[in-house]
Amino acid sequence: MVVVILLVAWQILVDALKIKKYILPSPKLILDSFFDPRMAAKNKWWRHIFATAGGVLGSFALTLFAGVAIAIFLTWSKTANRLIMPILVLFNSIPKIALAPLFLLWLGYGVFPNIMIAFTVAFFPVVINAATGMQAVDDDLLDLVRYLNASQLQIFTKIRIPNSLPYLFAGIKTSATMCVVGVLVGEFIASKRGLGYLLRDAQAFIDMPTMFACLVVLAIMGISFFGLISLAERLIMPWRFAAVESNVQR
Amino acid sequence: MSENNTLLSIRNLRKVYQTRDGELEALGSVSFDVNEREFVSIVGPSGCGKTTLLRIIAGLLPKSDGEIIVNQSNFDPTREVGFVFQKALLLHWRRVLDNVLLPIEILKLDRKKYIDRAYELLKLVGLDGFEKRYPNELSGGMQQRVSIARALIHDPKLILMDEPFGALDAITREKMNLELLRIWSEAQKTILFITHEINEAVFLSDRVIVLSARPSKMVGSYDIDLERPRTLQQKATAEFGEYTVNIYQKLEVV
Repeated sequence: MVVVILLVAWQILVDALKIKKYILPSPKLILDSFFDPRMAAKNKWWRHIFATAGGVLGSFALTLFAGVAIAIFLTWSKTANRLIMPILVLFNSIPKIALAPLFLLWLGYGVFPNIMIAFTVAFFPVVINAATGMQAVDDDLLDLVRYLNASQLQIFTKIRIPNSLPYLFAGIKTSATMCVVGVLVGEFIASKRGLGYLLRDAQAFIDMPTMFACLVVLAIMGISFFGLISLAERLIMPWRFAAVESNVQR
Repeated sequence: MSENNTLLSIRNLRKVYQTRDGELEALGSVSFDVNEREFVSIVGPSGCGKTTLLRIIAGLLPKSDGEIIVNQSNFDPTREVGFVFQKALLLHWRRVLDNVLLPIEILKLDRKKYIDRAYELLKLVGLDGFEKRYPNELSGGMQQRVSIARALIHDPKLILMDEPFGALDAITREKMNLELLRIWSEAQKTILFITHEINEAVFLSDRVIVLSARPSKMVGSYDIDLERPRTLQQKATAEFGEYTVNIYQKLEVV
């Protein structure tokens, strides 16, 4: 409702003040860049949306998988933790966006280098949060299974990994946004596809409505992505939400 | 005390911790027996090594000296011991039923065969109908009951309890004591119970073992010949008072 009022106000202001469309396009012009047949054909929305979404989902999957694997490795072995952690922290202090040009030289054009750029940018929060969650286990909780002679594997599957889930989701939410940033940077620098490419292309033609339309699509993608993660959180950790309800009951 | 149904003999058990300031003797030579189906309490001031003693018996800590003799040929310490900790220590991501079944999974037993038993035990501890709840939905007393059911699930002979009701309020604690006695008599287990509440120890036990402050020595052992089943009324009797006063004197509080 608030959004609708803002959009109407925006439209009225742009019309009333006769603001040029290459300064600030009206909502109607932005909509046209989606639905006006000529504009829509030129922009090839689906092609670019699929490229970006593919890059984001691909890099997100890689981030999640590799991040959790590294976290397990770091928690499993104290030696690994001591050797690898400093390297990770050092690596994290580099602004990783700056590595993007390197990746393009190594890996060439296309979706794959974009995925690698996004992965480099985004994997750190997942590793740190998952490892913290696996290590933040009450010693007493470990005793509870140790007196039954639990194996290291059992300690991970029954205690450490479930215990890390809330932390992991906090990391995932940070990383998900960073994946989008990483993929867009890749598309900015060198790509023939994706919303990042379309933004730069539209910029070259001072096609403001299309640029704004890209932002709208990116916002919608971001919100849906975040919504999916929140949904997954509810499905995977039902106990967290059961607790909230019971506080009212008790 | 050397009856032929002795389950556990502790002989000259010592524990010395290495600290930065040298050696710290947490447990200085403790010896006693625990008979089958007996309820034995250990009382003593804080820091006297009661918990250390229990953790050594459970295999969570190495002993420095002495012996723990198990007088049963078929007694496998990892399978025959159930431990109830000070905190309930429930896994908050597991439903009550799955928490109770945790030892079964750790011991790699067939989970299906124990599900009925888990339901029965939850009924025994008075949590009928709470099987599908999450721990956060239960009160502190209920959580501790779940942890008792969990300690019983693999049918161990010996239950070790480390101040299990210490965190509960006085009224809940009384209730839990009565419940525990009922569970103990129904489940026919041997219980080694640690507390610093002398009243609680006398009320629950067949025998109360008194430890001194660090380095702890065994300073007394009292057979409590109060009639069973115990009732709260017994706490008001002269007999009960005599037992507690004797123990207080032993601990030099009075």
